[in-house]
Amino acid sequence: MISYAVPNEEIWSPAMAQHEHDLELMQRLAAGEEAALHELYADYGQRLYAYALRLTGDPALAEDVVQEVLVVAWRTAAKYRGEGRVLAWLLGITHNHAFKALRHRPVPISDEIETTLPAAADPPEEQAQAGEQARWVRQGLKHLSPEHRSVLELVFYQGLSLEEVAQVCHCPLGTVKSRLSYARQHLRGVLSRRDKEDWL
Amino acid sequence: MNAHTRIEERLPLYAAGQLNSAEQAEIEAHLASCAACREELALWKAVSAEIVASDRALVAPPALAQRALQQVRGRKRLNRAFWRTWQLLHAQTFLVQRETWPASAAVLVLGVIVALLSNQAGVIYFIAPLVAASTVAMLSGREHDPAYELTVATPTQPWMVLLARLSIVSVYNLVLTLAATLALLLIVPPGLLGTLILGWLAPMAFFSALALLLSLWIGSSNATIFIYVLWIAQYVPYRAVGTWMVSPAWSMVISAYQNFWHNPLLLFLLSIPLAGIALWSANRPVFRLNQGID
Repeated sequence: MISYAVPNEEIWSPAMAQHEHDLELMQRLAAGEEAALHELYADYGQRLYAYALRLTGDPALAEDVVQEVLVVAWRTAAKYRGEGRVLAWLLGITHNHAFKALRHRPVPISDEIETTLPAAADPPEEQAQAGEQARWVRQGLKHLSPEHRSVLELVFYQGLSLEEVAQVCHCPLGTVKSRLSYARQHLRGVLSRRDKEDWL
Repeated sequence: MNAHTRIEERLPLYAAGQLNSAEQAEIEAHLASCAACREELALWKAVSAEIVASDRALVAPPALAQRALQQVRGRKRLNRAFWRTWQLLHAQTFLVQRETWPASAAVLVLGVIVALLSNQAGVIYFIAPLVAASTVAMLSGREHDPAYELTVATPTQPWMVLLARLSIVSVYNLVLTLAATLALLLIVPPGLLGTLILGWLAPMAFFSALALLLSLWIGSSNATIFIYVLWIAQYVPYRAVGTWMVSPAWSMVISAYQNFWHNPLLLFLLSIPLAGIALWSANRPVFRLNQGID
């Protein structure tokens, strides 16, 4: 499920209801209510774990990162002023901790990310071509840097706007766009190689 | 930026389903007439489908919130322990006998002056352990504690109070003696600095522990005198003893005794159980043989 950015208009929307719920959750968290942390994890744990795993490529490391994110959320909930979505705030913390963990990690991740991130379910026979394409996309993603993968993950799975992606990655909007552009060129290169191999 | 480039930039968001209906309509109108953007969109859709499918298959690890809360509680306990230690050290710093601080400093300054004038760095080696012993011996007891009644009345256990004071005074002595040793660089080559420091450090640790223990058992003054005698005894030349006690066994005993003070490892190892026994006996008045003296 992809959620939406908080809209400016006053008309009630599911995104506004979600934001109000999140604000209340953060207040409870700031007040030290332990149940609120469980609730926060139930709401966002899967997304945070997916993002941490996308960046680190290591399930154990991703687990540690998410645990640390929850600790930080618990300690700093009072500082959250509700300027943006709670999801973006949490993803920003996850981003920082995942990159910190990567810096202290001796083994490069590129060789194992394919095995740790589950592939889409096997396609039926008639979708074999699409399945083949997915395999090549997976290959392409595998060879992208964490910075580029993070932008794709934030846009396509986390449903963040480009401005929110810039906020999460602590970089200018232009950098987000150039990372998207680089990822596109890289993936296009991978797919065109596939086409050549098919032709040969 | 022309319309094509603008639309091309929005295609990832279109593929991710993040655009409103007006933006979608604009893009769809452009797609109808632009083959390059259709190809571009196909790529983004493939990327989106792969990322969403693989991420959806993931399950968040169970009990992470519980583990995070346990971590928070653990840190809180640690922070509380640090805070309590800091409070104890801070409070005890002002309860240590006030004269201790200038007296130690004055003796060491005097020692440095004598060492420099006589060109004998060994003066510091001789003085430092005695200064440490004297100050540590004054740490406990009614006669040396300006807030003895208050200290007794606090919920902090006596051994903790004693350990806090021992730590404060030991660090003070250590810093002072290090400074004094550095001053000796005027007469000692820098290469010998390590040997000089190790020379006084081990006896200082040993005497601090012994002084603490003896001050609890036999009183501060007796402990100080006992330690002074122990330390000075190593300087008694064998010849002086040998004139009235010629046995070769004595020669060995005296030699072993002198070597004992030059064995840093042994002195360090002995100082640990001595300090431990001292702290342990601080909680047990039955071991405080000096109760009548205090």
